[in-house]
Amino acid sequence: MTTSRLELRQVTKRLRSGERELTIVDAVDLAVAPGEFLAVLGPSGSGKSTLLGLAAGLDRPSSGEVLIDGQPIHALSEDSLARLRRGRIGFVFQSFQLLGNLTALENVLLPLELAGRAGAARRAAELVAEVGLGERGHHYPSQLSGGEQQRVALARAFAIEPALLLADEPTGNLDGATGAVVLDLLARLRAEHGSTLVLVTHDPEVAALADRRIHLRDGRIDRTS
Amino acid sequence: MTGRVFLRQLGRETRGARGRLAFFALCLAVGVAGVTAVAGFSGALRSGLRSEARKLLAADLRVEALRPLPEEAAQLLAGRPGLRTTRLREMPTVVLAPGGTAATHSQLVELRAVDGEFPFYGRLEIEPDRPLAELLAGDGAVAGPELFSRLGVGLGDELSVGGRRFTLRGILRSEPDRIGGAFALGPRLYVDGGALDETGLLARGSRVEHSTLIALAPGAKPAEARQLAKALRAALPDPAFYRVETFADGQPELRRGVDRTERFLGLAALLSLLVGGIGVAQTVRAWLASRLDAIAVLGALGARPREIAALFVAQIGLLALAGSAAGAALGVALERLLPRLLSSFLPELPPPGFQPQAVGRGLALGAGVALLFSAGPLVAALRVPVLRVLRHDAEPIPVPRALALALGAALFAGTAAIAALQAESWRVGAAFAGGLAATAGVLTLAARLLARLAGRVPRLRLPTALRWSLAALSRPGTGTTANVVALGLGGLVLVGMLSVESNLQRRLQAELPRAAPTAFLIDIQPSQWDGVRETLTAQGALSVDSVPLVMARIASIDGRSIDELVEADRRERRRRWALRREQRLTWLDRLPADNELVGGRLWGDPELAELSVEEEFARDLGLTIGSRVAFDVQGLPVELTVTSLRRVRWESFGINFFWIVEPGVLDQAPQMRIAAVRLPPGGEDRLRDALAAAYPNVTLFAIREILDKVVAVLEKIGVGIRFLGIFTVVAAAAILAGAVAAGAARRAREVAIAKTLGMTRGQVVVLFAAEYGLAGLAGGLVGAVAGNALAAVVLRRGFEMPWRFEPWMALGGALAVALVAALAGLAASARALAERPIEALRHEG
Repeated sequence: MTTSRLELRQVTKRLRSGERELTIVDAVDLAVAPGEFLAVLGPSGSGKSTLLGLAAGLDRPSSGEVLIDGQPIHALSEDSLARLRRGRIGFVFQSFQLLGNLTALENVLLPLELAGRAGAARRAAELVAEVGLGERGHHYPSQLSGGEQQRVALARAFAIEPALLLADEPTGNLDGATGAVVLDLLARLRAEHGSTLVLVTHDPEVAALADRRIHLRDGRIDRTS
Repeated sequence: MTGRVFLRQLGRETRGARGRLAFFALCLAVGVAGVTAVAGFSGALRSGLRSEARKLLAADLRVEALRPLPEEAAQLLAGRPGLRTTRLREMPTVVLAPGGTAATHSQLVELRAVDGEFPFYGRLEIEPDRPLAELLAGDGAVAGPELFSRLGVGLGDELSVGGRRFTLRGILRSEPDRIGGAFALGPRLYVDGGALDETGLLARGSRVEHSTLIALAPGAKPAEARQLAKALRAALPDPAFYRVETFADGQPELRRGVDRTERFLGLAALLSLLVGGIGVAQTVRAWLASRLDAIAVLGALGARPREIAALFVAQIGLLALAGSAAGAALGVALERLLPRLLSSFLPELPPPGFQPQAVGRGLALGAGVALLFSAGPLVAALRVPVLRVLRHDAEPIPVPRALALALGAALFAGTAAIAALQAESWRVGAAFAGGLAATAGVLTLAARLLARLAGRVPRLRLPTALRWSLAALSRPGTGTTANVVALGLGGLVLVGMLSVESNLQRRLQAELPRAAPTAFLIDIQPSQWDGVRETLTAQGALSVDSVPLVMARIASIDGRSIDELVEADRRERRRRWALRREQRLTWLDRLPADNELVGGRLWGDPELAELSVEEEFARDLGLTIGSRVAFDVQGLPVELTVTSLRRVRWESFGINFFWIVEPGVLDQAPQMRIAAVRLPPGGEDRLRDALAAAYPNVTLFAIREILDKVVAVLEKIGVGIRFLGIFTVVAAAAILAGAVAAGAARRAREVAIAKTLGMTRGQVVVLFAAEYGLAGLAGGLVGAVAGNALAAVVLRRGFEMPWRFEPWMALGGALAVALVAALAGLAASARALAERPIEALRHEG
């Protein structure tokens, strides 16, 4: 049996809200194979983004286990998690989350440096060119359009050739045409690097591109298609 | 919006921002505490002086001069019914106690001879508790307790003063009109006026200070005292030579001293309040940035812009009052501490009571600074379009240039007004605000330059931490400018205060020459000089330097009489003082080694009676080569012409003079000699014993003791300055931490992204330390330069001392500011570091 790239075992996340305790993610079991493209669908508040955060070790489950390449990560320290993410996990967010202080090129460079990759500067420049922003690498995020910012975010996410890429509504803040360009780019890069992709969306058209879709409702997997 | 809705909304608005708003209050509290403490302390001192003025004068009026009260004035006083007068004569002299049990038999005292009732107000505390006149009758004397202990004598023992015998009848515990005890030359000794005439102390040329104390009829009003003072000044033949003081003036010299101290401390406290103002602006800006959505929503719900503005102004006002009230309470506590620090050179006064004006001043300044510094960020935030409810990225419409300029002008004018209030002078207020604006301008330029340089550095090849910090500094809108300005002002105060203090210390200790005299001898009659010199040799004097001395007054300069000159210079206190004081003249063939000729020729003209004047003194009096100065040498007119100017190295502690006269001119004038002597350690007491026996009129000042006292007082001033410096630096550090915390929302997101990308907390810490440290270094360097400039002004104008640039201190100060900045940045970023990345990212999208 091959090891799953990402595996969630009975993962539950509860949050306290005043007197009440809310269950955001409720006993989810999920396995994602290497190279698979999984779409996570669900209405607003169904726990999609929280699930993604748990998968990346950005958040800790209240109970259950999270494994990446068979390694349990839910008990690791903050710093160990950071080191794990360095070489293996890439992120794309709905609101881009670029560092405003750094130029486009520097944003792409940062994860390469953190991972200690040789030839980081050259690689970053190549990636920026690859997403079509070769001329604008020295621009700051605030000088770029939303679509351009998301392209920088994609270049940053793929810079370390991550085994696992997590995307949280990457086209949510973009208009249809720009969103399509970004999706194409995402698909192309994924094909090039062979990354496993977990993508959160509520857009059925986007989800249609995936190998498999899970539908969340009230923190549970409602159905798989 | 109704009042109730307004208040309810006011409460809701502070929700979720309490920590930030607490910082706002803290920023103000620190500065307000300083302002209140200084105002309260000096207010207490001044009201104490007013209520004690009669006691400090021991009379309603007092006429003082180095000559007796002239007949004209005495007649005027005699012609007024209901007046009582007392004559005091004072001089330093040496007493001998042949029967004492101590190793030394002589002691320098401040002798005071009384003719009449003393004091009219206040109380002399004497053991035994008998009236002064009764104790002094015949050969009685009353002395301070130090005299008894130093000479090993007791009540009933005999003393010799100027060759006459006195019997000690009382121990003086306190006297109403003796203040500034730290500078006393020796213990006080009271004798009867008639008895003084029988001593050998009143030889011609001795320095005797004559005071006439006048008591008006009981219940006299201040106006009566002033009126009599005016009549006396009119009756005095040379009014410039006399000082007439009334209780209504309330000790003008002391009050001026209090005013000066208050101005210096008050402006230093204001500086920390203004640093707090920058913190306020930063906090308000960050707080309002988090309220932009709320402002847009309020607008969408139908609140008018005016109502929204009122909502936030009211919040800022309430917070400002809360912060200022906390600061004022702290200030009142501090106020109790200040007198202890300053006790040795201020008179002992009743403990300060509650000072409502001081608290009022603290509250008003705190609220004023808060509103002044909040106005800019508030105006900017209120320009957010209501459209933001639909489009989250709709930013406030930029403030038009004219409005921005008006806000800047209001800030400057407000600062000048507050400084003028603190200094009680529009000129000082404007200068303070101008200097501050210039410094803030330079700091802003430095911040911009730093940003530009940081942007220019090819950072791709640099280590990650350095690249990140350069990137953060080079981005506009990250608060770099405000941080650098706040840090720079903190550095200014730190380095300025340290530089003033170290210059004072160095001047006193390091520049004291090895061959400096350890004692001065004054009032040596010319006929005694040979004998005195033999005594000095016998006592092992290592060096003896002696010159003749003639006391004189300026009668006219270039034909204009002294009265005319004084009248023409009403506003120039320094020049008036120089004109009126008693002048000391000497004559010399050659200049001593510590004098340097800077203009003219020494004794080159056989036709003229020549005069050589010290350079700065000549400038003060407006004298140049060729000026004619007429002196009144104790009744003899002498006219001299300035033919040379000298520069004097005063720190040599040798005998030096403003005026040196050509030898031969003053041979026949009434004169005495003074001498500077260097003695082996401990030789001063033996010499004083030897001189006191043979030459009772000769007074010896052991300046070793006096220098020790001056050093002790300066150390206390140093403690005070250091205290204020540390206070301001702590304030600046707290405020920087506040400003950084204000930007914590932005930092939290950055930290979260950095962690998501795989950065460990250790790496994040290094990044932040480098970023804030660099901002601190830039601000600190500019602040250090400005601080040195401030120290130069304070030392040269305030203390009239040279100032020396101390590069190591400037560099150390800049590094200290950088360190404080790095630590403050880390402290405020701690929460963002501890948070899980998801917490910060969840707020987005």
